[in-house]
Amino acid sequence: MDWIKKRNSWFVIGVFLLILTTLVIADTRPGNHPFQKDTVITVGVFSDSYWEVQNGYSYRILEDAIEIFEKEHEGVRVEYVSGLLKENYSEWLAEQMVLGKAPDVFLVFGEHFSDFTEIGALKDLESFMEKDTLFSADRFYTSAFQCGQYGGKQYALPYECAPKLMFVNKTILDEEGIALPGEEWTWDDFYGICSKVTKDKDGNGVPDQFGVVGYTWADAFDANGVELFNAQGTECRLTGEAVREAILFMEELEGLHDGYHVTSKDFDLGKVAFQPMLFSEYRAYKPYPLSIKKYSGFEWECIPMPSGSRGDNVAELDTLLLAMNEDTKQPEYAWELMKLLSGDERIQSEVFTYSEGVSVLRDVTESDETLQLLIESSGDNMGLNLRVLSDAVEGAVVSRGFRGREEAEAEVDRAVRDIMEGSSNISMEQIIWNREIDHFLKDHNRR
Amino acid sequence: MEENCNKEIDMGKNQIQEGRVEETRVPGIIFAWMLNLNLLIILYITGIMAAGLWGHVHENTALVFLQQVNAVTIVPWKIPVMAVLLYGSLALLLGIRTEKNASIYGKTCVEIMITIAIGYILNFSYIGMVLLILADVIRRMTKVRWKYAAIGIVCGVYLLMDYNLLTGRFPITPLDTYLLYYRNDVRSIMLGIRNVLSSLNILLFIIYTIQLMRVQMSEKERILILNDKLNQANEELQAANRQMEEYARESIKNAETQERNRLAREIHDTLGHSLTGIITGLDACVTLMDVAPDAVKTQLKDIADVARKGMTDVRRSVKALRPDALEKMELEKALIQMMEETKKTSKVEIEYCCTAELSHYNKDEEEIIYRIVQESITNAIRHGKATKIMIAISMEYNIMYIWIKDNGVGCTHIEKGFGLHHMEERLAMLHGSLNYYGDDGFVLEASIPIRWGEER
Repeated sequence: MDWIKKRNSWFVIGVFLLILTTLVIADTRPGNHPFQKDTVITVGVFSDSYWEVQNGYSYRILEDAIEIFEKEHEGVRVEYVSGLLKENYSEWLAEQMVLGKAPDVFLVFGEHFSDFTEIGALKDLESFMEKDTLFSADRFYTSAFQCGQYGGKQYALPYECAPKLMFVNKTILDEEGIALPGEEWTWDDFYGICSKVTKDKDGNGVPDQFGVVGYTWADAFDANGVELFNAQGTECRLTGEAVREAILFMEELEGLHDGYHVTSKDFDLGKVAFQPMLFSEYRAYKPYPLSIKKYSGFEWECIPMPSGSRGDNVAELDTLLLAMNEDTKQPEYAWELMKLLSGDERIQSEVFTYSEGVSVLRDVTESDETLQLLIESSGDNMGLNLRVLSDAVEGAVVSRGFRGREEAEAEVDRAVRDIMEGSSNISMEQIIWNREIDHFLKDHNRR
Repeated sequence: MEENCNKEIDMGKNQIQEGRVEETRVPGIIFAWMLNLNLLIILYITGIMAAGLWGHVHENTALVFLQQVNAVTIVPWKIPVMAVLLYGSLALLLGIRTEKNASIYGKTCVEIMITIAIGYILNFSYIGMVLLILADVIRRMTKVRWKYAAIGIVCGVYLLMDYNLLTGRFPITPLDTYLLYYRNDVRSIMLGIRNVLSSLNILLFIIYTIQLMRVQMSEKERILILNDKLNQANEELQAANRQMEEYARESIKNAETQERNRLAREIHDTLGHSLTGIITGLDACVTLMDVAPDAVKTQLKDIADVARKGMTDVRRSVKALRPDALEKMELEKALIQMMEETKKTSKVEIEYCCTAELSHYNKDEEEIIYRIVQESITNAIRHGKATKIMIAISMEYNIMYIWIKDNGVGCTHIEKGFGLHHMEERLAMLHGSLNYYGDDGFVLEASIPIRWGEER
């Protein structure tokens, strides 16, 4: 029986060795081996601008941040893969996650934030924020900061953002003798102006000057204080008076165009009075060499979005987020780098210089330097009040992200279109569609 | 002789064990098949999982894939490597043989944990490894209560590890999502193969259980058969015992009869002889009384002598009937004492020479030696009228030789008396032999094979 005992003890040793090897393998991350001299932090970024504008400053902000970071933390090197385009970035990031090579810190698009959080790819930042006394969430715009939250926890910090503003063709308004609406204008004002400017100027029987282009039901919902889904993304809130009003308002607006399909090209040609735009799009208007020629025909100005009867002058906010890899081996350094990129005024002020977005730090956005910079970059008739911008960011609607929100919104889009085209009772239709979308959400959650 | 016996017993044991090995080997072989099959299934599933992941990366559909999974996937190459390493450790644990139920329990717990880890890597799309643990527990556990508790635990784990039950509580990605990379028809074939292999595993487990039950049942049967045999042997033994008792009773009776016969002979030989002499002498006296009173006087003297002699004979006979000399002392002392007494009473010269050691013989051997010497002396005095007797006892190759010679009258024709006959009988019982010659005095040679080792 001695040989059995001997064999058993060899087996036990074997079991330990195999389990140990498995644990070591499970813990290894490509590129990070225990014997390397200096610590390397990898960052996932893309080369072009998030705001779809080629500005030639691809990695300027990051490079500056790396310089500061490496000076502050000796022996730590920051690396990034260059040459990724924005359109390929999310796919690249997903592939890196699948292959286990995702960077320590990476940018996350608002639309994919909930997907990555849901599968546990992003690190929960709550503990870092609690431990770090130098970190203050109050310095961020509340709305932008909330964009990085999921299920009540912070998984990402905002990097830059852009609020939606109403772009106004001042020339048309001047021609029609209409005063520029105030900052707290309403749907009534909006509709009034739209109906006044919509007319057939050349008398060919078809209207050739229009009120608005690109105002969607989502804008109307935001303006009327509609929260379309509950926090868990399990229920739709398509019923109710606020939604009904928004749909009715959209019907009225579209009724003005008399079936003519207005495009943003019409706006570019100076034939449309209003177009909602992201702040970044607004900023990109001027610096483009092409746009100078394109828009020289009219003067423009930015004002907040109009408010519905039950809401405020608010709109959505597009935010680019910065998140930490759940599997990072250097969470402390990664957090320092994230803090530098998104919470440091030196870096954040560069957002206005090298990008088209808005800094997520209130102090930076409202500073005199920023005003100076914006005036310089857009010429003398800078039609923007910085307080309007700041308020638009602060008050922006933060739509709670959940998995499958995109698909659910597509469903709502179908529903709103159907209700508007149909002639039956709106409230009834709302209830029917609400039930259908609830079913859709339940199915989606069950998957 | 003894060695041969042991060999035969060993051979018998081996035959029994070989028979058992043949039977118990069948579940062992099925268990080995199950081990191999599970390895195959794990390699297969992890293989298609890893290939699916790589496929998503190559086809640039990783984002779409991640939007459908419920948790970040494991790095593709790690999936098969980690699963196989863990499976290896599970196989080693299953190979550990121990008798202690407590260590089997500990072992089973570790096995379950490893299985859960493998299940996690496989996204719980296959959990047939639990059947291996179950098979091992059924085979190894000896205490019934522990066994059922362990089986209950393992079965519970098996049921709870169901994929659909787990997805509700934990973020697990179904295997189908990994396979989304493949074409629809290929995917269904892949899942089909998985299902077939999984069913095969269950089938093997069932066969294993049946075989194990068969082995255990035949074991019980064997025990029953052995029990029967034991009972039979017991009965035979009892019968033999009864026979032995009867035989013992008979031999007591025989001994009694023999003793009675001997007594009769003894009386006839001694008293009869003397009395005959006395009667004839007295008759002669009656006739002579008137004719020659002097002759009568001498005749009466002679008769008195005969009577006296008869008296001595009776005494000697009575003494001979009392064989307690041997019981009181050792053989050699008893012999010497007997000779001394004879010398005193009958005035014969006895030469005694013994080269053999006379201790530590069996009771029957000692008695026969004593009897032969005693009988020979008696015969020499009584029948041979000897005045000198020589006695030699020697030992050669386990055979004891007793040589007794007297200078008496001897006899040309030897009539076997009760004494000689009795001697022969006794010697025959010990496989000994007896020779005697009457030409020159009387010579008696007896040889007795001595059984060594029993009481030595």
